[in-house]
Amino acid sequence: MTVWIVIIVAGLGSYLFRLSMIMLADRITMPAYLERATGFVAPAAFAALVAAAVAAACLELGATRAAAPLAAVAVAVIAVLRTGSPYAAIFAGMPVLWIATALLSA
Amino acid sequence: MFSLIADRRDIAAGARAMLPWLVGVVPFGLVIGLSAAQASIPTLAGWLTGPLIYSGSAQVAVIQMLDGGAAPLVVILAALVINLRLVLYSAAMARHWRGSPWWWRLVAGYLLVDPSFAVGLDGYDRPTNRGRAHAHYFGGAILLWAAWLVAIGTGAVVGAGLPGWLQLEFVIPLYLVGEVVSKLADPALRRAVLVAAAVAVLSLAAPLHLGIVLAIVAGIAAGLTARRRSPSPQRRTPPRLTEEPHSTAEPHSTAEVAA
Repeated sequence: MTVWIVIIVAGLGSYLFRLSMIMLADRITMPAYLERATGFVAPAAFAALVAAAVAAACLELGATRAAAPLAAVAVAVIAVLRTGSPYAAIFAGMPVLWIATALLSA
Repeated sequence: MFSLIADRRDIAAGARAMLPWLVGVVPFGLVIGLSAAQASIPTLAGWLTGPLIYSGSAQVAVIQMLDGGAAPLVVILAALVINLRLVLYSAAMARHWRGSPWWWRLVAGYLLVDPSFAVGLDGYDRPTNRGRAHAHYFGGAILLWAAWLVAIGTGAVVGAGLPGWLQLEFVIPLYLVGEVVSKLADPALRRAVLVAAAVAVLSLAAPLHLGIVLAIVAGIAAGLTARRRSPSPQRRTPPRLTEEPHSTAEPHSTAEVAA
């Protein structure tokens, strides 16, 4: 139940943000630094989510079982640096995850 | 206002201008759908983040944090922090939508997100009449909306049918790794990303997953301070639209979709 409420409230809040200025204000100049801030939102959010997920997985799984996801993330980082394509992370990381999981459970 | 029939050329032109954005948007939607199918929340709830929240980065945060068992209020807070940028887009559009019917502002506002903002603004920058610019915005925005919901739905259906050993719950973290690492070339973005990641790890023990929210805010602040020190030429468009390391020809928006 809470899941649905969270999604509905987050959606309503987002809609209110969208409507805020077009309903209230005719002409508003936003401070320039706020405009600059928008470019950092998605990268910062993504970095926070992935760092927290990886760190939590390490604490939760313990050294041996965390090895597979960690190896996948490491290979993904290298693949993206090498190719410059964000999608290389998935295409390189997932096979490493499968192989490492198979090896560790064998 | 515009007419669906008389202004169909402008609607089509707006939709065409959206096509390059879909290259980044559609795979992101597929990945979100996959993760919704794998997460511990109902798949339909995951899909509903599409029409309700309609912003890829906030949707990922909501799905991941609900899946991780974060407190409801903190999940909402994280989504709203990420979506606060919509107020800026709203302010930028207010000038063009002033005096237009309230129903148009309700609909156009609902469709407002990074790619539709960029494509729409292009239309308003041209010296055509306002009705045709509305049509241009609408054409791009409605195509984006349809493609986004179909992509998430497709990802959710496919994801539900795939075997567990594929560990598809890792697709989202790896996707995020790709997005983050490909941003490292830009000094200000690198700073934002590294600070956000560091704060997220350091505040892992913070109650209710509040560390995520803290990390996002810290990352944005770090990016802003970096930018202030290195003077860069004034830009007309918001940073995200011009700052993509591999942008120009192809506005690889991905993240930002509905970001």
